[in-house]
Amino acid sequence: MAVNELLAQLHEVASSPRKQLDKYLAQGKKVVAVAPVYTPQEIIHSMGLVPMGVWGADMEINEAKKYYPAFICSIMQTILELGIKGEYDGVSAIVIPSLCDSLKTLGQNWKYAVKGIPFVPMTYPQNRKPAYGIKFTRAGYARVISDLTVATGAQFSEPALAESIRVYNTHNAVMREFAEIAAEADITAAQRSDVFKSAWFMLPEEHTAIVSRLNEELKAGPKAEGKVRVLVSGILADSPGLLKVLDDNGIKVVFDDVAHESRQYRTDVPDMENPVDALAQKFADMDNCTLLYDRDKKRVDYIMEQAKKHNAQGVIVLMTKFCDPEEFDYVPIKRACEAAGLMNLNIEVDRQMVNYEQANTMIQAFKEMF
Amino acid sequence: MAEEVKKSRPAPDPNSAKYKLGQIAAKAYSDAMEAKKRGEKIGWCASNFPVEIPETLGLYVCYPENQAAGIAARGGGERMCNVSEGEGYSNDICAYARISLAYAKLKEAPEQDMPQPDFLLCCNNICNCMIKWYENLAKELDIPMIMIDIPFNPDYEVSDAETEYIKAQFLDAIHQLEEITGKKWTEERFQEVMESSGRASRMWIEATSQAKYVPSPFNGFDLLNHMAVMVTARGKKEAGDAMETLLKEYKENHEKGVSTFRAEEKYRIMFEGIACWPWLRVTSTGLKSRGINMVTTIYADAFGFIYDDFDGMCRAYADVPNCMNLEKSRDKRIRLCKDNHVEGLLVHTNRSCKLWSGFMPEMSRQIGEACGIPVTSFDGDQADPRNFSEAQYDTRVQGLMEIMEANKGGNTQGYTTMSGEHGQEGGK
Repeated sequence: MAVNELLAQLHEVASSPRKQLDKYLAQGKKVVAVAPVYTPQEIIHSMGLVPMGVWGADMEINEAKKYYPAFICSIMQTILELGIKGEYDGVSAIVIPSLCDSLKTLGQNWKYAVKGIPFVPMTYPQNRKPAYGIKFTRAGYARVISDLTVATGAQFSEPALAESIRVYNTHNAVMREFAEIAAEADITAAQRSDVFKSAWFMLPEEHTAIVSRLNEELKAGPKAEGKVRVLVSGILADSPGLLKVLDDNGIKVVFDDVAHESRQYRTDVPDMENPVDALAQKFADMDNCTLLYDRDKKRVDYIMEQAKKHNAQGVIVLMTKFCDPEEFDYVPIKRACEAAGLMNLNIEVDRQMVNYEQANTMIQAFKEMF
Repeated sequence: MAEEVKKSRPAPDPNSAKYKLGQIAAKAYSDAMEAKKRGEKIGWCASNFPVEIPETLGLYVCYPENQAAGIAARGGGERMCNVSEGEGYSNDICAYARISLAYAKLKEAPEQDMPQPDFLLCCNNICNCMIKWYENLAKELDIPMIMIDIPFNPDYEVSDAETEYIKAQFLDAIHQLEEITGKKWTEERFQEVMESSGRASRMWIEATSQAKYVPSPFNGFDLLNHMAVMVTARGKKEAGDAMETLLKEYKENHEKGVSTFRAEEKYRIMFEGIACWPWLRVTSTGLKSRGINMVTTIYADAFGFIYDDFDGMCRAYADVPNCMNLEKSRDKRIRLCKDNHVEGLLVHTNRSCKLWSGFMPEMSRQIGEACGIPVTSFDGDQADPRNFSEAQYDTRVQGLMEIMEANKGGNTQGYTTMSGEHGQEGGK
């Protein structure tokens, strides 16, 4: 299959999650919604359930205003809005971690706003690396397993988890490979986004199959030339309007530090005797994310290293409005870029953006600096 | 913001609770200053960090939240926020954090100075914003950061797994602090601190519960000032003494039929949220001029650090406001409303506090329903004066008062009358 056909297939999935949900439900599968940013998807998958990501949508907020003041990020607001409006009907449960303050409130509001879909909390430790932190991660997993069993009737087994871990590690590797290939291949920012976004709406083994073929095709295909190479950082970078601005201005995304994209695939589950221990160790090993305690701001060093490694000429921070963790990290990122002589741009984005003129002007000015 | 006009007042009675409490709060800063001058290592500490740890170790710490509130109340909030925003911090970030990051840069503020830290004590049982704020301080100042993670509890009770996780971190923190400062933990001293903390907590809870009397023997705005001692010094013996005096005064007020609420108490409300420090006078006067006494807040319950042993202490720190689920948060407030004969709920939708405000509309609806009282909210901020509108506040308080008045006449309009506004406010 040609590159364009594979990309079209992923675009179709990325732009119609409801269709994917209905497809899995029609197959007799049970679907579990997974909220940002990290959830133990391997466990959900191992129980024979389909994890599907919910990161909100570009839409107007009405019903969620009954629950949220305006200064809560629009990802949370639109997840709740979609839940209230029945867009997730058919889903058996939603797993919501408490990794930021707004996520904490999403779980609490969900219980009353969307009564038909049970809320399953996943409580991760911030002190995730010491043995006591790993033990607490395990306790969080036990809670998720127990709640999912009640919500869906599905059973958990360690051998099944070991197999799902293998599936997820393979998917991670394929996605990492894609990110590297996409740095040079002649694909648009919108197409790149489709590859990452579609992963949230497909079983990982299905997604792996398509992206593996795509990787092979892209490797053999033409390379991008004459573009301004940038690293994009943020929570989310899936807005078609914004991606079009990047593409129209000849901006090439050569790597990302986006929570919805590459942050998901950096860390594999290590090979250990007990798969639950191994999965808890994975969380302990995860780093370089604004939502994971980072005394040394290693995330900033990571962004700088990746920008250098991928020959990025600049860093574009897509700042999700009202995401205070990212807003705190922005200042050290900006300073590090300045120290390294890297151009940087901070564009505030949210799910209610309808006009991209300001972003366009900023990107044009940014581009002219090169 | 409005300039506060200070009238000359008689010298305070040194035996009064107000004087004693003020002295303790001021001494926390001066003690830390002196310790710093002596060459001791001092810390900056999150408000709900287990104060028993530095207190038992004999460490001097300052509280950036308390400092930020002080700076904001004295008119410096906007200036300090502007400094942080100039560095690139978004004005959507908690204003306490913006003020604190500005202070870390400027190292002075005429409204409230405190010594620069040698280590940071962070605890996220009030919000995860604390983590990011302290990460940035630690990076900027290049000093050690002790991080105690007390996750938001989705359940009603604190689980054994969470208690075990917290306990391991407390022990780790003690060990790290011993290494950083050279001071030693002793069980004997911990027992003393635990007793002091328990006594101060019991006295605080009993003093605040005197609002059960009608009229209340105190103006609830008093609590916003007095709680500073519960935040910063509850492990010290003097705090228990001062709180005992406060309780005695409130009891005497009741017996004499007087109150620190200097107006006729026509209505009794619960105030929800952190004070609007830059607009304290305005928010207080808006109530007092209408005979509305804020008789209780969740702070009345928040400092109930009463426990019997180390494990109990670990559990207590997971059972604080902003760390507990909606149902437990709601039930505590319902109890305060009922115990204190509350007739209305006034909610501060605090731009700085996403966690506190993020499920407040639903929770306040449920409180209003359970107590049969009207609920209204206003937009504000704990420290950034730009996020408050006096006209909106006035209109909302007036509306609340009118419903409370109608309810008094037996014409119950119910709890929903004002709470429906939450939805509309969200879009404004």
